[in-house]
Amino acid sequence: MRKIIELIMKIVFLLSACISVLAVAVICYFLFSEGLPAIAEIGPGNFLGGTLWKPLEGLFGILPMIIGSIYVTAGAILIGVPIGLLCAIFMAKFCPAKLYRFLKPAIDLLAGIPSIVYGFFGLVVIVPVMQVLTGTSGKGVLTASIMLGIMILPTIISVSESSLRAVPESYYEGSLALGATHERSVFFAVLPAAKSGIMAGIILGIGRAIGETMAVVMIAGNQPVIPSSITSGVRTLTANIVMEMGYATGLHREALIATAVVLFVFILIINVSFSLLKRRND
Amino acid sequence: MKKLLAIALTIAMIFSMAACGNSGSEEGAEGGANPITVVSREDGSGTRGAFVELMGIMVDDVDQTTQSAEITQSTSVAMTTVAGNEKAIGYISLGSLDDSVKALKVDGVEPSVDTIKAGQYAVSRPFEVVTGDALTDLAADFISYIMSAEGQAIIAEEGYITIDDNAPAYEQKSDLSGKIVLAGSTSVSPVMLVLADAYKAIYSGVEIEVQQTGSGAGITSTIEKACDIGMSSRALKPEELEQGLTETTIAMDGIAVIVNKANTAENLTSEQIRQIFTGEVTDWSEVQ
Amino acid sequence: MNPVQYLKNHPFSFFLRMLVYVSAAITVTVLVFLIGYILYKGVPNLTLPGIFDWKFTSQNMSMTPAIINTVLMTALSLLMAVPIGVFAAIYLVEYSKKGNKLVKLIRVTAETLSGIPSIVYGLFGFIVFVITLGWSYTLLSGAITLSIMILPLIMRTTEEALMAVPDSYREGSFGLGAGRLRTVFRIIVPSAMPGILSGIILAIGRIVGESAALIFTAGTNPVVPGSVFSSVSTLSVHMYALMTEGLYVDQAYAVAVVLLAVVVLINALSAALARKLTKK
Repeated sequence: MRKIIELIMKIVFLLSACISVLAVAVICYFLFSEGLPAIAEIGPGNFLGGTLWKPLEGLFGILPMIIGSIYVTAGAILIGVPIGLLCAIFMAKFCPAKLYRFLKPAIDLLAGIPSIVYGFFGLVVIVPVMQVLTGTSGKGVLTASIMLGIMILPTIISVSESSLRAVPESYYEGSLALGATHERSVFFAVLPAAKSGIMAGIILGIGRAIGETMAVVMIAGNQPVIPSSITSGVRTLTANIVMEMGYATGLHREALIATAVVLFVFILIINVSFSLLKRRND
Repeated sequence: MKKLLAIALTIAMIFSMAACGNSGSEEGAEGGANPITVVSREDGSGTRGAFVELMGIMVDDVDQTTQSAEITQSTSVAMTTVAGNEKAIGYISLGSLDDSVKALKVDGVEPSVDTIKAGQYAVSRPFEVVTGDALTDLAADFISYIMSAEGQAIIAEEGYITIDDNAPAYEQKSDLSGKIVLAGSTSVSPVMLVLADAYKAIYSGVEIEVQQTGSGAGITSTIEKACDIGMSSRALKPEELEQGLTETTIAMDGIAVIVNKANTAENLTSEQIRQIFTGEVTDWSEVQ
Repeated sequence: MNPVQYLKNHPFSFFLRMLVYVSAAITVTVLVFLIGYILYKGVPNLTLPGIFDWKFTSQNMSMTPAIINTVLMTALSLLMAVPIGVFAAIYLVEYSKKGNKLVKLIRVTAETLSGIPSIVYGLFGFIVFVITLGWSYTLLSGAITLSIMILPLIMRTTEEALMAVPDSYREGSFGLGAGRLRTVFRIIVPSAMPGILSGIILAIGRIVGESAALIFTAGTNPVVPGSVFSSVSTLSVHMYALMTEGLYVDQAYAVAVVLLAVVVLINALSAALARKLTKK
């Protein structure tokens, strides 16, 4: 009897695990079956390499959006990862218990604030500041990067922190015993041991940055042209989808689904390269 | 790991320095000029469609709006952007206009319900309801309510322009019940919610859902029968009408051209507006 | 040791410490600024007439139905995603053999899922549930879409938490004659509970804050649903809908404050729960 239950539960666990595979398969099927014909109709070269996006005239070039997404995500990572990681180290190893009791829920709260609120905050606070600092309209790559950098902070902090805490105390103590200072022990004994968890946090952060829609669309300017400097306006792939999905019909709508396909392939490339990186490190 | 950290730190520093350096140089280049920030809406937005058509920005079915125009995806973002940027110019639905921005006169005419009705203020567009061939009796009755004297009175009260001032009074049916699903334009939704409330007040057994998904999604949902009535803030395209849809204009709405309150401009000609939005004119000094 | 002396003796360590402090300070500043901004803009609007009325009308723009919808949407999504996610993680950590092809596939797909942007989920849900299955905009379409979206988050955090449970626990339990299933549910899952809960908190945060995936799946209807096949708008979507036309921005800020309060409440509850579980 016990064996049967064990077996049944094992199968239940297995099936649950397979649901993610199923979900990816179904998502792929629906996106690709609607998106690929559109790419074929527009022509892969014109679609991926075209610099003009004028859907009402039948011009569907998404190169500016691809580059825009890369710029903005890279900027967000440059800003968000160092600050987030260091903040996680602070919370795990430097923070007085009293402060921690306030800080931890506050960071969880940061994760819960909806992106529209971030967007409006960016529009009313960051954009005017950037106007003064750069003399441009204030919307652009840099503004969007800062905004996204802030938005991925809680993800990176909480994942990094829990993986830092999961490192056995003996690593830290061993390093101290060898005469290293508190800081050196944390940075060079504990931090490397938490690497895989931190990487996971960064991947999640990249995912959030690339996929962020509602906030970016308010502060990026959304011009469908390749940005010439870090202060010029930019449109991301996600912004392209959310702005036009509401109105699009016919080939325009299929082109937007095809944009989602590109975004999806993008994510696949990131994941594959990360797992390759991970395997080499292991 | 040490290397990784070092790289991360260096990159962070370079980035922050680049940011500072860049801001310095940009400020220098600004000079005394007063460049215009053009704020437009997304391609295919009902508001944009009507605006470019009326302003002559659309030439031979090609939208000539400058590629360097900032694109906002909703009325409120367009308004907030203009309210926060002294050099910006944009356009929004007249029904949404408030005192955070300044509405310009176009060719010397102030935008208002009266001037639009009198045909003096030319920048206006229709609000449509879209129906398919599977229209339910209940939904049909709701549309007849919108087109009645009562419905048109609500539209006028909400600041939009009525289609028919001499509409017949609504004939109350004995007992209606059921559910109506509307989907579509975000511009039409606010007034539709008020109409729905008034209609539900007559028939307690009626449920009405209003989905703000945008004109195109509303039209598509109507074709795919995901909703009973679609809402659109632009006229239907021929290829949409071919799919068996019928459009009914329920109201008109003006489009206000807006600038920052600190902007000294009061009046622009439609030709100047066309030049600004096509990028032929890029500095405020050229239009003042 | 005072800071000056520390700087002299261990300049690099001092530099590292400063780096850490500065980053923490930046995070806190952003946090205080953001929350202050929301409260400043929103709190005065909480007293708008009728904003907490039971029934939504075009006059009061009440958010009470949206609050109920948010709870329903969260509950329904978690109901689907948490068991599947936790079970999947249990399979990966406790049952699978290392190097198994299937396990690799599951990990890769889970990572892929976690990277898919919410707008793509929204599109997917729109194509599948709203159009292909013909459900129209419904609570159920939204909840299924969201549960797929949060599944990898729950899987990953649970997996990390399970892996952090020392092997000695497992060995001890097996040594006492407990079966695999018993060990998992009595020993491993309870000790991994705080980690699992933190994943659930992150997931709730995502659900409550989600708008892009819901607008095209659950719609924007701000009333209490009659069934899972009714259209609903959660607080975030409600806020988005209020903001779009610029007519009800004051109400939108009020919603933001309530949203903030909801998140605080959820977080506090989960934290209290986690404390209670770890004590036992």
